[in-house]
Amino acid sequence: MITVRDGGLDRLGLLFERYKRPLYGFFYGMNRDQELSDDLVQNTFYRVMKYRHLFRGDGEFKTWLFHIARNVRHDHFRKDKIKGKDSVEDWEHKLGHSENKAEEMQHDEEHMMLNLAMDRLSPEKREVLLLSKYQEKKYKEIGEILGCTEGAVKVKVFRALQELKGVYEKLEKQM
Amino acid sequence: MEKKGVEELIAKYNEGLADPAEIHELERLIEDGIVPLTALSNLSQLDDRMMAAPDAQPSMEVDSRFYAMLKEEQRKVSKSTFPFQWPEWSALAPRLALGMVLLIVGFAGGYWMIKPQEQNDVASLTREVTDLKEMVMLSLLEKESATDRLKAVSLTSEMSQASKKVTEALIKTLNEDGNVNVRLAALDALRPYVRESNVRESIIRSIANQSSPMVQVALAELMVELQEKKSIKELRKLLEEEATPNDVKQRIEESIQVII
Repeated sequence: MITVRDGGLDRLGLLFERYKRPLYGFFYGMNRDQELSDDLVQNTFYRVMKYRHLFRGDGEFKTWLFHIARNVRHDHFRKDKIKGKDSVEDWEHKLGHSENKAEEMQHDEEHMMLNLAMDRLSPEKREVLLLSKYQEKKYKEIGEILGCTEGAVKVKVFRALQELKGVYEKLEKQM
Repeated sequence: MEKKGVEELIAKYNEGLADPAEIHELERLIEDGIVPLTALSNLSQLDDRMMAAPDAQPSMEVDSRFYAMLKEEQRKVSKSTFPFQWPEWSALAPRLALGMVLLIVGFAGGYWMIKPQEQNDVASLTREVTDLKEMVMLSLLEKESATDRLKAVSLTSEMSQASKKVTEALIKTLNEDGNVNVRLAALDALRPYVRESNVRESIIRSIANQSSPMVQVALAELMVELQEKKSIKELRKLLEEEATPNDVKQRIEESIQVII
């Protein structure tokens, strides 16, 4: 990233290739919306490109990237809240998506259950679990992204996992 | 908490038997880094499953949009990058110093070469203008129109230093001009030169010659201003004159008192 910051813009392609999947996974995990997640990935990399001169280089690029990703997502939903966006198309999109979920279920029932359980968590809990996954459990870095201590992150992850487990077990019984 | 107690708590939690207070305690131990999350097998299985879950894939659209954006940015950057580069400071410093020295030498040389000539030019030009003004003034004073003569008197105020010829002409006007306003203007024009003894004496001598009360009062006031004791004799002459109005006499007396 330091090369990108200092003018090697073509190297940004490498970073994109390396991080587009975890980034997309994070957005998709939060929204369950393919199109929106595509947009948010695009917006995140747009910001990385635009504000590349602000990368200090004293931390990991991935931490900085997810920090931006969170802001991009927040900005998107803040804008949506103002617009009061809840159109029929959105609902159609979401319904269409649950059909996809059924397909997924055939392939991997367990994975599907996990996703369903994740969807029932609060956004804060879902976010901390997704960050834990995509930051590969580097709690100190997650703390930097969320603006809290490493210990506080661990407690957040613990509580989120506990709730996830409860929801997961309930879903299992329903199946 | 002792190590044994911690292990017991973990075991209890993993069996799903921990009560809320114990869970709270466990949270504290996790926060302090005493209990790693991996020790909680009850949760870590789920965590591992989540970590292993396949990731959703972004569409091809993301790739094409990103590379289009990158290309556009590269085009912008290459457009705005100016090919000129500043040379190193170490290489620039001696050149700059040499440039500065040459510039200063050039200025100084120019200054010394041009200065005498320029000074002469300016001095002769000033002299010429002053001469011209004097000539205009003297010729205007000869005019019959009082306005022209007033104009002539006011011209002296534009002169930085009037010549003897001019002050003499002004004194002559003060003594002889038929118009009171012109005489008053001449007295006003003479004010800057009252330090010259001949001008001062001429003004004092002029006191007794004045018939206009306005000029008399103006002269008396000027004498007070100058604290000119020599003028008392001339002022008294005015007091003795029968033609002098009583009001003026009173003002002159007051002035004499102040001067004394």
